Amino acid sequence: MKIRKFLALVMALMLAASLAACGGGGAPAPAPATNDGEEAAETSDASSGGGSSGASLQVAIWDNNQLAGLKEIADEWSAQSGVPVVINVITWDSYWTLLSSGAQGGTMPDVFWMHSNTAQMYMENDLLLNLDNYIANDADIDMANYYPGIVELYNSNGTQYAIPKDHDTIALLYNQAIFDKYGVDTPTDDWSWDNVYEAAKAITEAGAADGVYGYAMNTSNNQDGWYNFIYDYGAQLITDDHKGTTIGSDEGKAGMEMVRKILTVAAPQPVVAETGTDSLFQSNLCAMITQGSWMINSFYTAEGHDDYKWALLPYGDANGNGECDPGERQSCYNGLGWAAAANTQYPDEAYSLISYFCNEAGQVKQAELGVTMAGMPGISDAFNNAFPGMDVSAFNRIEDEGTLYFRPYTRNTTVWEDKIQQDAFLAAWLNPADESVMAGACDAAQAIIDTAIAAE
Amino acid sequence: MTKKMTAAEKNAAIWAWAFITPTMLGLIILNFYPIFNTVWQSLCKTGDFGRGNIFVGLANYSAVLQAPETWQSLWNTIKYALIEVPFGVVIALVLAVFLNKKLPGTSVYRTIFFLPMVCAPAAVAMVWRWLYNQQFGLLNNLFHVKVGWINDPKIAWISIGIIGVWSIIGYNMVLFISGLQEIPHDYYEAADIDGATGIRQFFYITIPLLSPTTFFIVQTRLIGALTVFDLMFMVMDKTNQALKQVQSVVYLFYQYAFTNGNRGYGATLVMVLLVFILIITVIMQKAEKKLVFYN
Repeated sequence: MKIRKFLALVMALMLAASLAACGGGGAPAPAPATNDGEEAAETSDASSGGGSSGASLQVAIWDNNQLAGLKEIADEWSAQSGVPVVINVITWDSYWTLLSSGAQGGTMPDVFWMHSNTAQMYMENDLLLNLDNYIANDADIDMANYYPGIVELYNSNGTQYAIPKDHDTIALLYNQAIFDKYGVDTPTDDWSWDNVYEAAKAITEAGAADGVYGYAMNTSNNQDGWYNFIYDYGAQLITDDHKGTTIGSDEGKAGMEMVRKILTVAAPQPVVAETGTDSLFQSNLCAMITQGSWMINSFYTAEGHDDYKWALLPYGDANGNGECDPGERQSCYNGLGWAAAANTQYPDEAYSLISYFCNEAGQVKQAELGVTMAGMPGISDAFNNAFPGMDVSAFNRIEDEGTLYFRPYTRNTTVWEDKIQQDAFLAAWLNPADESVMAGACDAAQAIIDTAIAAE
Repeated sequence: MTKKMTAAEKNAAIWAWAFITPTMLGLIILNFYPIFNTVWQSLCKTGDFGRGNIFVGLANYSAVLQAPETWQSLWNTIKYALIEVPFGVVIALVLAVFLNKKLPGTSVYRTIFFLPMVCAPAAVAMVWRWLYNQQFGLLNNLFHVKVGWINDPKIAWISIGIIGVWSIIGYNMVLFISGLQEIPHDYYEAADIDGATGIRQFFYITIPLLSPTTFFIVQTRLIGALTVFDLMFMVMDKTNQALKQVQSVVYLFYQYAFTNGNRGYGATLVMVLLVFILIITVIMQKAEKKLVFYN
């Protein structure tokens, strides 16, 4: 009966542990202890002896690819300031659940990332530390040096609540081996979406027996996918004043018509919904996708990365003259911001860390380490060399050879963002052969966005 | 009652309170307060982060009750329950009867069937998601078919239900085994002497005497099935074309309350679900008096 007693004891302990995990209320550390079991935490060991002030900072991010590089920068800061930093990586969905619960309960992390989907809400509710005085007294930070779209995003009523951390752009990713196998010319900087269509068609037809597709794009590939088509052809998903959309216009429909054309020779929607475009590509079953610079590391470290090449994002030949005119090559760009909680115990230390991440030296270092490109223009060249053996200059070159537009957002982006993917465009993706379905989807998207903005 | 308590009674009362208080505190803080807060939120246009709620009366209710997706998701939830509960109960009962016999290796099988219960639901869902994958999944490749298990709106709800049954069988089985062991052996001996076959014994002894356990399982699993969320959330991509025919009420609640940040609408959805579950429970309680045999 000894075993039974032992088992009972183990069960009791497990029960106690799970209860303790649920009820961990009064503890001061707002670390996300039990969310999905999907987090990783890294404690900076630079000053494990403990800072003189007894302060320590909890940092929350959602991208595991950036952890190592950011930790290195944070460790440098810890070595100078004597304040230990704990960086917690939480998956995207859990991140926002955690942050909004923390905002409600008053236990947010000290320093964390802000994103265009939600920044407005957090700023308007005074949940973020007002950085104006800190910036004014900090010789290292000048807001004029950063991308204006990102600065504006994290500014509410003249107050700056976050400092741009980075910027990202989009490029075309292709698999050299697949192009070679089917004897199709590989993408160049001069490619338009029509060239993409031709190549995708050739590969999908030739590769049908092997289950290889020329292209893959899901309705959820918006910022890195079909958004760019709309802007290439002269429409805007969200207008500059964030109060409307022109997706239902003729230009918008022309852009989505190009998308539709490519979809007729791309992987069918049920396939990309179940398997995912990235998995298809990394399984060598898809020749081309578009992806954002934040995803480089995941392809760089993938098994077949020797065959993966990045090309300049193709342009949309809106006027049909066969060359890329100004405004025809558009890449979405977005930037995260480093923000601090308004009620953090250590506002000075928190700002000091933010400043260390965001000043020019920190930004250059971030690019060198291959974490991301910088939040200020012109200093990201080091990023090109951060991935030995893989040419990622396409992400920087688009700044000279194309136009960057800021990621479309309104006050409550998620309300219409999910809805146009699920309710408007899904039908067109499922039935790309029919032009009228895509045109109707554009009208439906127009109505969804208009309604959502009216309710904001 | 003005009679004074004796010292012993007083002592007993103090201890009683001491033992009850932790549970009561837990219930009040973790159950009752959220329930009333949810009711309150369902009557509000909620502000961000729980601040600035504006009372709007029944506006949320009229919006929720008029939305076709509410009724569709309620129907989806019922369909899921209609698979998970009957199959989960029947299969578990059959397994329990076999594993209750004194045969070699029963404890091994008991463990095997109980294993799904100790796996994290999210991990279970991820594995099934790949088993079901239309192009590369094990199921389709094993049987050389091209079935869209989770993206064909006609069958996706069944596929999800199968995962639910698979996950719950072990738990139901353990409850059944404990119920079986409470049935006195005399009945079976008597039946043997009278020449009743195993099948007849099962239907005339086991099932009636097991009915309290069966009822308990059906009742708790029904409530569990009506609040299903994680299976749909983990198995189906949000761009899956079958999602609208599969998403449960709680999934819809999650979408509104957490993704869209509309807590008031979300709260109203769960209130509708709560009322529905209450009705089902009342019906179950009435049925209990007729169908359940307490010896």
